[in-house]
Amino acid sequence: MSDDLLVLDHVEKRFGGLKAVSDVGFRVPRGSIFGLIGPNGAGKTTVFNLITGVYRADVGTIRLRSAAEGGREQELVGKAPSAIAAAGVARTFQNIRLFASMTVIENVLVAGELHRRAGLIGEVWRTKHAREDEHAVRARARKLLASMGLADVEEAPATSLPYGSQRRLEIARALMLEPKLLLLDEPAAGLNYGEAESLKAQIRALRDEYALTVVLVEHNMQVVMGVCERIHVLDHGITIAEGTPSEVRANPKVIAAYLGEEPTSEGEGEAGGESETAARPEAKAP
Amino acid sequence: MRRVPAVVLFAIGALTCVGLDLAYDGLVSWDRGSKFWLHILVVCAINVLGATSLNVVNGMAGQFSIGHAGFVGIGAYLGGAIVSNLALALKIPVAALKDNLSLGQSFLLLPVALVVVGLVCAAIGFVVGLPSLRLRGDYLAIVTLGFSEIVRLTVLGISADSATNPLTRAIASLGGSLGYRGPKVGEDYLGVPSVAGPFWTVGIAALAVFLALRLKRSGFGRALRAVREDEIAAAAVGVDPAKYKVTAFVLAAAGAGVAGALLAVQRDGPGIVGPANMKFDKSFEVITMVILGGSGSVSGAAIGAVLYTVIFYASEEALHQLAQAVPAFGSVDAAALRMTLFATALIVVMLVRTQGLFGERELFEKKADDGTPKPPSPSSDDATGTAKEALAS
Repeated sequence: MSDDLLVLDHVEKRFGGLKAVSDVGFRVPRGSIFGLIGPNGAGKTTVFNLITGVYRADVGTIRLRSAAEGGREQELVGKAPSAIAAAGVARTFQNIRLFASMTVIENVLVAGELHRRAGLIGEVWRTKHAREDEHAVRARARKLLASMGLADVEEAPATSLPYGSQRRLEIARALMLEPKLLLLDEPAAGLNYGEAESLKAQIRALRDEYALTVVLVEHNMQVVMGVCERIHVLDHGITIAEGTPSEVRANPKVIAAYLGEEPTSEGEGEAGGESETAARPEAKAP
Repeated sequence: MRRVPAVVLFAIGALTCVGLDLAYDGLVSWDRGSKFWLHILVVCAINVLGATSLNVVNGMAGQFSIGHAGFVGIGAYLGGAIVSNLALALKIPVAALKDNLSLGQSFLLLPVALVVVGLVCAAIGFVVGLPSLRLRGDYLAIVTLGFSEIVRLTVLGISADSATNPLTRAIASLGGSLGYRGPKVGEDYLGVPSVAGPFWTVGIAALAVFLALRLKRSGFGRALRAVREDEIAAAAVGVDPAKYKVTAFVLAAAGAGVAGALLAVQRDGPGIVGPANMKFDKSFEVITMVILGGSGSVSGAAIGAVLYTVIFYASEEALHQLAQAVPAFGSVDAAALRMTLFATALIVVMLVRTQGLFGERELFEKKADDGTPKPPSPSSDDATGTAKEALAS
């Protein structure tokens, strides 16, 4: 049996009458780069929000396996987002969510709160622990910012950074958590060809340097196909395919979902949705 | 920056406050006319404490509370009751209570009262903070306003005639609309003693500013601001918004309660605790101080409180003098004119500096440096975030 870090099983989420995600299940192998793709509105970001506890799954389980020897399993459904973050799941957001009025380094420092020993009184009193922790957290934040190429803008207001730097800052903030699992929501949005190429290298480097498992939601096929080892495809909240990039690329259902062709296999006959999906490739880029 | 040991700082601070206290008494006995101005110092200090504590919840945590006066009121009644009953129990001569008590006597009465008030108000702050977990913005504001009005109306609504059980009798003993005048001794009320001079008021206000500054600069303060900026992003990096928001309410309530207790037993005080202390316009006064100084800035809130108080009293006095000097002004209602002028001044300040006098910065703190030249970016117009936030609050 493979060593999986994250296991989703029969996950379902309804918003009123709308099933945003139904019966989705996948396993993310430890140390892999895993892609989650699908046309707009397929439920990819909803899956991220379910994993990180922003939404609570109505049905199904989402488990995080801690030890390499198939040891302890943690159920994430029902946990608060902050507890899930503490368990080692970090994320970035599709629409960048930085702490607007704070500086670049402060944005990263916030994520160091978890690794502090001193409580409120200790911090206000500035006990030895509190000072040591602050020092350690600051040093780590500096290192992360430097590795993201943000060392010279540490004291700048976070929102004064250009778009690409804000995305990198979000990743630095996520890494400050010392996560096991990193969820990236459309990291390539708005990047040009060259930037997307270097993003691919960056994602691999991150995975290797910080011993991460990466799950990627992405529309940019250049990035997804280039960097992911396994890809899971959603459409209308339903799993339509999973496999290696070449398998997924060749899968008729995936082609149908993206291009609106009639599936060559008999198909589940969602004829209604297809005229809609036909227009999607144009709508891909934000 | 060189580090001065905290013990030395505290010792210097305590000695300064004792000096202020003795100077107050000395100056008043030398020239009774100075009492008006010296008393402003005491009121300033109490308002600084109120504004500093409100700033923790409104400014740092971004939870808009307009029920601060509720906590101030509870602190005032509770503090007044403890101090006057304690004075009675310690057999401090009743006649002396009508006058200011000495600094020495205040040490017998105040420490217990302030600690109890702080703890009780912290507990109430915890309960009032709970709705902040589900409500935000205007809705939370309405809940906090409701809280302070409930407290005020409870005190007003229960009279000795309608009191039937120990709880209602205890509330009725607070005097309803007449105000609390201490325990009854024979036919007369003892009155709430005037014990808290500059030592206590200025000392505690300074301590509160010091602690609030440290809180803001600690990791805790940073997390608090992160929760204010974006709860979802804060939770995603392991900061539990619930814990931070409720803690902010607890700290603010404790500070407000102590401010209320000091208000009740201030030197040259009224000797009476009235329900008007809890009216919502008192909450708005404190909010005005915080926003005037700059929401989120500790020194801003403190300076806002001092400016507000001084302008408030000084303008009254100035208009009063003017009315006496110039016969044509004799018929002018000084109090009404003052409010008009004051409101105009506030509007001008808010138009010129939407983020308050200090924004979120502190006194002696330099502007966040932008480092590299900014290339045009889709989000560069967000740089005015603080201004928007000030408008939103």
